[in-house]
Amino acid sequence: MAFPDDLLKDAHHLAARGEKDLRQSSLRRAVSTAYYALFHLLIADFVLNWKRPDQRVRLGRMFDHSKMKQAKFQSANPTPVEEDLKTVIDAFAQLQEDRYTADYDVGTNWSPKGVENTLAIADEAFKAWRIVRKEKIAQDHLLTMFGARRM
Amino acid sequence: MYLPSVAANTLPIDRAVTEVAERLAPDVQYIRYEIGWDWSGDPAIFFRVVLSDEASQKRLRKVATQVVWHLARLLDFPSMGLFPYHNFRSVSEQAVLREEAWA
Repeated sequence: MAFPDDLLKDAHHLAARGEKDLRQSSLRRAVSTAYYALFHLLIADFVLNWKRPDQRVRLGRMFDHSKMKQAKFQSANPTPVEEDLKTVIDAFAQLQEDRYTADYDVGTNWSPKGVENTLAIADEAFKAWRIVRKEKIAQDHLLTMFGARRM
Repeated sequence: MYLPSVAANTLPIDRAVTEVAERLAPDVQYIRYEIGWDWSGDPAIFFRVVLSDEASQKRLRKVATQVVWHLARLLDFPSMGLFPYHNFRSVSEQAVLREEAWA
């Protein structure tokens, strides 16, 4: 199983443990891990376009969380592919903010249902991305997430 | 850092929130929101949605999706210059956690 899938699976394990034991630490790690699962899923697909495998890790480390969130996409009448891409984009922004809250805002408590919803968003984003990942519009979006301006 | 002008007149947001909560009642018990900045400093609106215990147990994702969809239908977030974020919990969870921001 690929690293992003392992992370998502870990997120679910942590959420289940957090719900059972009502542990904030597990709930927070679940949210954070779900974000990183999607983060690495997208980066893994982007760097695959780089011809030299030995340079892909370095390329992946050039991604900036903030720029990735800033990459927007709008369509008045979205096609099914665009709808799936929007699902991924919206999920990424939500998960990124949730991850920040989970990792740094100790004044906010996570509830099991809140975490369950966050993980469901991640699951949906994985599913949607795997439908569209080879589409030109999806690959273009990865480039925008990397920091390139839209043409 | 400045907030968009919508922060000075939140009436349209209040109306939208009330409409969505009423439309999706009793699954949605109430919705709170706050305008501020997200982690990266972008203006944002944070919705905190409290669901009935039954809805959160049996149809959490369905109801959550409906809340997000209806709020986006009623409020043009890109025009407002706000990033929307949505978080959910159940009535029982809030009764235990007793967080003021969710009350």
